Amino acid sequence: MSALFVMFKVGNADYVIPASSVLELESFTGATEVPGAPSFLRGVLNIRGRVVPAIDLRTRFGLARTEPTIDTRVVVGQIGTRVVGLVVDAAREVVSLSSEAFRPPPEIIVEQTQGFVQAIAEAGQRLVMLLDFPKVIGEESTHAQ
Amino acid sequence: MLNENGENGGRSHSMSLRAEQAAKSLRLAADRSERIENLAAQLVSTGATQAASIDQMRAATESAVSSMDEVAKAVNDASLSQERIVQLTRESRDGCDATSAGLHEVAASVEGVKKDADVLATSAETTAISLEEMSRSIKGVASDAEELAASSEELLSSATEMSASVSEVAALGEGTAATVEEVAATIEQMSKGISRLSVDAQAMGERTATVGTAVTTVASALGRVAEDASEMASAVEQTAATAEQMARSVRIVSDNIAGLKADADGTTSATSELAASIEEVAATSEKNALVIDGNVAGIEQLARSAAATAASAAEVSSIAANVATSTAQLETSTRTIAGQVQASRQTSDRVAATAKEGAVTVARSINGLGTIREVIVGSASVMKEVSKRVEEIGDFVQTINLIADRTNLLSLNASIEAARAGEHGRGFAVVAEEIRALADRAQAASSDIAKIVRALQGAARDALTASTDGAKVADDGAKLAADSERALTTIVQGVDELARSVVEIDRASAEQGKAVHAVVQATNRMNEEGKTIARAGAEQTRATQALAQAGAEMRTMAKQSRQAMAGQAKAVREIVKANGALRTTFEKVMRISEEQTKASAELAQAAHRMRTITQKTTSAMAEQTRALGTVAASSQEVAGATQRTIAGLTEQAKGAVEVARAMSEARKQVVQTARAMAEQTKTSKRVEGIVRRVAKLAASLSTVSAEQSKISTVLTGEADGVRRFARQASRAVAEQAMALTALAASAARQTASMGGVGGAASEQSAAFSRLGDVAAQLKLRAREIAGALGLHTKTAGAVVEGVRSMSSEIAQLRTITAEQALVVAAIFEELSHQDRARHRTMEEKDEAS
Repeated sequence: MSALFVMFKVGNADYVIPASSVLELESFTGATEVPGAPSFLRGVLNIRGRVVPAIDLRTRFGLARTEPTIDTRVVVGQIGTRVVGLVVDAAREVVSLSSEAFRPPPEIIVEQTQGFVQAIAEAGQRLVMLLDFPKVIGEESTHAQ
Repeated sequence: MLNENGENGGRSHSMSLRAEQAAKSLRLAADRSERIENLAAQLVSTGATQAASIDQMRAATESAVSSMDEVAKAVNDASLSQERIVQLTRESRDGCDATSAGLHEVAASVEGVKKDADVLATSAETTAISLEEMSRSIKGVASDAEELAASSEELLSSATEMSASVSEVAALGEGTAATVEEVAATIEQMSKGISRLSVDAQAMGERTATVGTAVTTVASALGRVAEDASEMASAVEQTAATAEQMARSVRIVSDNIAGLKADADGTTSATSELAASIEEVAATSEKNALVIDGNVAGIEQLARSAAATAASAAEVSSIAANVATSTAQLETSTRTIAGQVQASRQTSDRVAATAKEGAVTVARSINGLGTIREVIVGSASVMKEVSKRVEEIGDFVQTINLIADRTNLLSLNASIEAARAGEHGRGFAVVAEEIRALADRAQAASSDIAKIVRALQGAARDALTASTDGAKVADDGAKLAADSERALTTIVQGVDELARSVVEIDRASAEQGKAVHAVVQATNRMNEEGKTIARAGAEQTRATQALAQAGAEMRTMAKQSRQAMAGQAKAVREIVKANGALRTTFEKVMRISEEQTKASAELAQAAHRMRTITQKTTSAMAEQTRALGTVAASSQEVAGATQRTIAGLTEQAKGAVEVARAMSEARKQVVQTARAMAEQTKTSKRVEGIVRRVAKLAASLSTVSAEQSKISTVLTGEADGVRRFARQASRAVAEQAMALTALAASAARQTASMGGVGGAASEQSAAFSRLGDVAAQLKLRAREIAGALGLHTKTAGAVVEGVRSMSSEIAQLRTITAEQALVVAAIFEELSHQDRARHRTMEEKDEAS
C-alpha cells in the first residue's frame, strides 16, 4: 500500500509529510509579521483569501533564518479544521512511498529531536524523514482530538 | 725677334696658367667625387633606416596578424558557445514539446500551445537557416585563411630573395671598398709623382736663373768683343791712313828720284827715312794681323754658338710637338670624364625616380593601414552589439528559469490535487509528475545557459580588447609607415642634391675641357714659335759664317801685306847699303818705285776694303749684342714664368695631398658602408625568420579554420535534426487536447520566450557571419600590406642597385683622373726636358763668351 508524500528541504535534509494533509504549495515572498509572536512564527499569510499562520521550519529546527529565494516555498497543510503554512527552503517533489518503506527512527533520534521525526524512509538514494506534523506546529492535542 | 721672345714668354706663362686651371679643375672634380661619396654613404645609411622601418612595419603587421588570430579565436569561442546555446535551446524546446505532449494527455489539446509551438518551429527553422549561413561564412573564412597561408609563403620567398639580394649588395660593397683602396693607392702615387715634379720644376727654375745669368755674361762678353772690333776698326783706319801716306811718300820718292840722280847724298837720307817708315808700316801691319786673327776666332765661335742656338730651337720645337700630343690625350680623357659624368647624372635621375615610387608605395600602405584600422573599429562595434545581444539572452534565460519554477509549483499542486482525488486522480498524478520532471530539466538547462552566457560575455569582452589592441597596432603601423615616408623624402632630397653636384661636376668638366683646349692651342703656337726661332737661328748662323769667311780673307790679306812689307823693308835696306851704286841702279830704283807706287795703291785699296769690312763687322757685332740683350731679357722672362709654374706645381702638390687625404676618408667611409651592409644582411635574415613564423601562424590559422568548418558542418546537421524534431513536436502539439488553463498559459509564455531565444540566437548567428566577413576583409588587408611590403623590398633593392652603379661610375671617374694625372706628369717631364736643353745651350754660350 503506497501513498503520496510531499517532499521538501530544510537546510540540507529532506523531509516528507503525507500529501493528504497538504492543501497546496505556494511561493514564499514574505509574511506579514505579528507582534509578540515566537521566533519560529514568521507571521501571517494570505492564501486564496484565507489568513494562515506561517511557521519557519528553519527556526523551528534550530537553524538560522534566511532571506527568501526563488526556491523558498510554503507548504499549506491542514489538521482538522486548522490550516497552517510551513516555510521551507525548497519543495520540488511529490513522491509515492509504500508504508513498508518507513522505519522508526533510532532511539537517540527520538529522544533528542523533540519527537519531530516520526519515521525514516528510503526514497531512491536519499533518506527522507517523516515529520510529525502536529508536533511540529505544536498542535498534538488538536491532532489527538 | 724681341717681340717673338716676349710672346713666347707670355704664352708659356699662359700655359702654366692653363695647367693651374686644369689642376684646380682636378681638385674640384676630386671634391665633387668626395661629396658624391658622402652622399652615397648617406644614401646607404638612409637605405638601412628604411630597411629597419620595413622590419618594424613587418613586426607591426605580424602583431596585427596575431591580433587577428586572437579575434578569430574569440569568434571561434563565441561560435562554440553559440553551438552549445543552440543545443541547450533544443533541449529546452524538447522539454517544452514534451510538456505540450503531457498537456495534451492531461486535457485533449491546447490551441494556444499549438500556435506557440508553431511559432517555436518557425524560429527553429530560422535558427537552422542562420546556422547554415554561419557555416558558409566559416567556410569562406577557411578559404581566406588558406589564401593568407599562400600569401605568407609568397612573402617568405620574397623575404628570402631580398635577403639574398642584400647579401649580394654587401659583397658588391666590399668590392667597391677594394676598388676605392686601389684608387686611393694610385692617387697617393700620383701625389708623390706631383711632389717629385714640383722638386724637379724648382731645380729647373734654378737652372733657368743660371741660364739668365749666363746669357747676361755672354751679352757683356759680346759687348767687349764689339769694343775690340771698334778698336780694330780704328787700327785699320790708322793702317789705311798710313798706307795712303806711304803711297804719297812713294810718289814723292818717285818724283825725287830724278833729283837723286843729281844728289845721291840727299837720296840716302831720304831712303833711310823711307826704310824707317816702311818698318813702321810693317809693325803696324803686324799688329793689324794679330787683331784680325783674334776677331776671326771670335766670329767663328759666334758662328758655332749660333748653330747651337738653332739646334736648341729645333729641339724646343719638337718638344712642343710632343707636348701638343700629350695635351691632345688629356683632352680626350677630359671628354671621357664628361661622358662618365653624364652617365652618373642619368643614374642619379633613375635613383630619384625609384625613391619617388617608393614614397608612393609607402603612401599606399599608410592608406591600407587606415582602412585596417577602420575595419578593426567596425569589428569592435559589432562585438559590442554581440555583447548587448548576449545580455538580452541572459534576461531571457532568467525569465525561462522563473517560468520553470512556476511550472514545477503548479505540477506539485496538481499532484497534491490528484492525491486528494484518490483513485480517480491516479493518471492525473502521473502526468503531473512528468510535468514536474520536465520543468526541472528546463530549469537545469536554463541555469547551464546562464553559465554559458556569462562565458560568452567574457569572450566578447576579450574580443573587444583584442580589437582595441589591433587598432593600436594599426596606428603604430601607420606611424612607422609615416616614418618610412619621411626617410624616403630625405632620400629624394639627398638624390636631388647629388644630381645638383653631378651637374656642377659636369660644368667643371666642361671648363676643364675648355682649359685643356686652350692649352692645346697655346702649345701649338709655342711649336710654331720654336720653328720661327729655329729659322731665325739658322739665318743668323749663315750670316755669321759669311762673316767668318770675310774675316779669314782679311787675315790672309793681312799676312800678304805683312810679307810684302817685310820684303820692301829688306829691299830698302839693300838700297841703303848699295848707296854707292845708286847711280847705276837709279833705273832699277825708278822701276821699283813705280812698282812700289802700284803696290801702294793696291795697299791703299786693300786698306779701304779692309776698312769697309771692319765697319760691317762692327755693325754686325752691335746688332748681335742687341740681339743677345733681347735674348737675356727673354731668358729672364722665362725664369719668371718658370717660377710661376713652380708656384702652380706646389699648389697642385698641395691639392694632390688634399686629394689623398680625402681619399683616405672616403676609404674609411667605404669600410663603414661595408659594415652597414653586413648589418643590413643580418637584419634581413631576422626579417626572414619573422616571416617564417608568420607563415607558420598562417598555416595553423588555416588548420583551425578547417576544423571550425568541420564543426559548423556538424552543427548544421544537428540543426537539421532540430528542425525535424521541431516539426514532429509541432505535429504532437497539434494532436494535443485541451490542458489546464494555467498550464497552457505558462507553456505558451515559455514557448514565446523560447522563440525570443531562437530569434536572439539567429541574430547572433548573423552577427557572427558579419564578424566572419570582417575577418575576411582583415585578411585581405593583411595580404595587401604584404604585397606593399614586397614592393617596398623591391624598391629598396632598386635603390641599392642604383647606389652600386653610381659607386662603379665614381670608381671609373677616379681611374680617369689618375690617367689625367699621369698625362700631366708626362707634360711636366717634357717641360723639364726642354729646360735641360735650354740649360745646355746657355752653358755653351757661356763658354763662348
